[in-house]
Amino acid sequence: MADRLIATPPPHLKAGNTVSEAMRDVIIALIPVSLASIYFYHYYAAFLLVLCMGTAAITEIVVRAALKKRHTLGDLSAVLTGLFVALLMSPGSPWWTAVLATILAVGVAKELMGGLGWNLFNPALFGSVATIILAPWFGFLSRDLSRLNVNFGPIDAISQATPRAMLMQGASLPDYGTMLLGFPGGALSETSPLLVIIGGAFLLYRGHINWRIPVAMIGTVAVLSLLAGGDVIYEMLTGGLMLGAFFMATDWVTSPINNKGKWVFGIAIGALVAVFRFGVGATEGVAFSILIMNAFVPLIERLTKHPSFSEPAPKPATEDA
Amino acid sequence: MALNDIKEGEGKSFVGGTHVPHYKSYTDSIAIERMAIPDEVVVHLSQHIGAPCEPLVAVGDTVMLGEKIADADAYITAPLHAPVSGEVTAIEERPNAEGGETMSIVIAAKGEQDAYQPSVERNPDDMSAEELKEAIRDAGLVGMGGAAFPTYVNINTDQPVDTLILNGAECEPFLTCDHRLMLERADELIKGAEILMRCIGAKKTYIAVETNKLDAIGVLDEKLGGRDDMEVVPLAVKYPQGYKSYLIKTITGRDVPRGARSAALGCIVRNVGTTFAAYEAVVYGKPLIERIISVTGPTVPDPGNYVVRVGTKAEHILSECGVDPDELDGAKVIFGGPMTGLAQDNLEVPIVKSTTGVLVLPPEMVREDMVYSDCVRCGLCVQRCPNWLYPNELSILAEHGVYGDLEDWDIWDCIECGVCAYVCPSNRPIVHFIKRAKPIVDEL
Ligand code: SF4
Ligand code: SF4
Repeated sequence: MADRLIATPPPHLKAGNTVSEAMRDVIIALIPVSLASIYFYHYYAAFLLVLCMGTAAITEIVVRAALKKRHTLGDLSAVLTGLFVALLMSPGSPWWTAVLATILAVGVAKELMGGLGWNLFNPALFGSVATIILAPWFGFLSRDLSRLNVNFGPIDAISQATPRAMLMQGASLPDYGTMLLGFPGGALSETSPLLVIIGGAFLLYRGHINWRIPVAMIGTVAVLSLLAGGDVIYEMLTGGLMLGAFFMATDWVTSPINNKGKWVFGIAIGALVAVFRFGVGATEGVAFSILIMNAFVPLIERLTKHPSFSEPAPKPATEDA
Repeated sequence: MALNDIKEGEGKSFVGGTHVPHYKSYTDSIAIERMAIPDEVVVHLSQHIGAPCEPLVAVGDTVMLGEKIADADAYITAPLHAPVSGEVTAIEERPNAEGGETMSIVIAAKGEQDAYQPSVERNPDDMSAEELKEAIRDAGLVGMGGAAFPTYVNINTDQPVDTLILNGAECEPFLTCDHRLMLERADELIKGAEILMRCIGAKKTYIAVETNKLDAIGVLDEKLGGRDDMEVVPLAVKYPQGYKSYLIKTITGRDVPRGARSAALGCIVRNVGTTFAAYEAVVYGKPLIERIISVTGPTVPDPGNYVVRVGTKAEHILSECGVDPDELDGAKVIFGGPMTGLAQDNLEVPIVKSTTGVLVLPPEMVREDMVYSDCVRCGLCVQRCPNWLYPNELSILAEHGVYGDLEDWDIWDCIECGVCAYVCPSNRPIVHFIKRAKPIVDEL
């Protein structure tokens, strides 16, 4: 008789999809816009990308070691978070803010919450926004660490106002085509909405993201911009709306799990973005809106829970006792 | 509906479920054959839902093929019959496919082993519905698609049942025994359906077949010749299409609330194998002593669809198909299909009336490492769960022992189909968690 028959429980077949494959595909989807950022911002962008991804990996190893857990670099989620943080940075940001944002993203928002799957907030957004809020208190770092700043030489685009700021100040932006294709000024990921959309299309095609969230979110912003009298096309193409809609709001862990919830979530984010843009006049509207709605995901899930296929009848009598 | 226009993959379906590769080509074109009779059979006294049987024979008795050897004095049960002629050598606990042991009658085959000789030759049209049902009960029929519910109990209903659904979906990958049966025994199958219709008083029969079996759809449609009381329904190829509730919903549009017996919904669903057995039971008085199983897998030298006696051990079945039991290191031997079947580590385990196949997965198809990670909330399991549950929540609660909340997430509605675990990118053993938690929740 065979010495060793395997008798693990069913199902005995497994679809080939894995978490690391999905993360890898998201990284692939971000390559075009990363290249665009390097094209516009040269070494500034390349440096931030490498710095954040490296910091993310190290943070994950260190924090998980401190928590006595096996590192999970293989699922690629830490590196991806680092990549996201870099793409959310402006090219002129001091390097230590990039490091701080990455540590907060991977170390606090993800690992201290229990690791991938347990985080309430999108880690990259949390890290970036927390850094923006905390940076004033860390002003001394700017001073003390300025000696360590790496100087890559001047780039015009860096001192230029961001397209969002230009829009708010009523300055005129280049034509729609240029804005879609590529125009420097904002964060690394804001250089080319077109390439972000192509990346998003790739993720939709690979089945990693659900179309409902980007459609609901972008649609809501479009409709409300129209009502608010904004320039709908510019509103679409600035402020990282595309990155937010295709890559951030669609994050598995921090978005609602069922389709109804995804609609609610997307529409609410879109509405908040419009409020930030036309009401408050803040430039970080997309990031704030997504983070705010991240906090409501558990509530949305409860309210949109669908009934079981077997629901109509009362429960079987076996349950009391 | 123009059935000859329908293409592979098309057809009616339900909401949820997933596509799984079929792996049916190993055996779907191989005609049904008889397997050599083993030297010894092990007949479990409990191989159906309901009361276990009591032996009617003692060690040392000589039994004849088809002789009743065990029965129970209960309503929900099914008698057992000798699958071979020979001598009873033991009545004792023997290993079962669930990993435990079941009281069993062990019979050593002795003397001439012929094919079953009809004890009678009856015309069902001359029999009353009561006589038909009795013949089915006496033959020990149970659901042969996996559930093993006694057929007599199922059809002995006084509720008005207008619809009979013959389940020929065979949605589990690899298995082809129902497919071959529909192709090769279409006339008997249709007669079997007529018998069941008379038993339950149904006006209409739907034969449900997934459209990866277009040849079977064609043959059945032709044999039916446009009669209006029977119809072939082509179903989309999707797992688990063949589950009873989803068939009822797909074909009749009726809702299937939890706890409702299908008779109360005016429908009875029977597997095609059971229907064929009903034909043989009524016309020839043949008890359920053998069944068709698929013996399959990429490395099986002689795969096929075999008529095998109930109680035949996996060992015998595998060696008859050219598999060397010593060469199975790191492989899986599965009773049933790969989505819900149970892997065996003891080849002494015999098949029972409801075993649909013996599948050998070679080491390269075996996921030996059961490493899994936390739920990343990708939502795939929720989208695909055919029962519209939240397998993610069920798995997390069960994993962490939060048993009290499992009923809120409808753990009892889970049909343990395996779709959630199949699609999970974190490789979570969701069904395993759910199965393990059910008895604990029941105790709460
Ligand atoms: S095993 Fe249960 S929870 Fe999982 S998909 Fe099937 S019915 Fe849903
Ligand atoms: S498929 Fe797995 S990872 Fe995805 S939601 Fe379900 S349990 Fe979580």
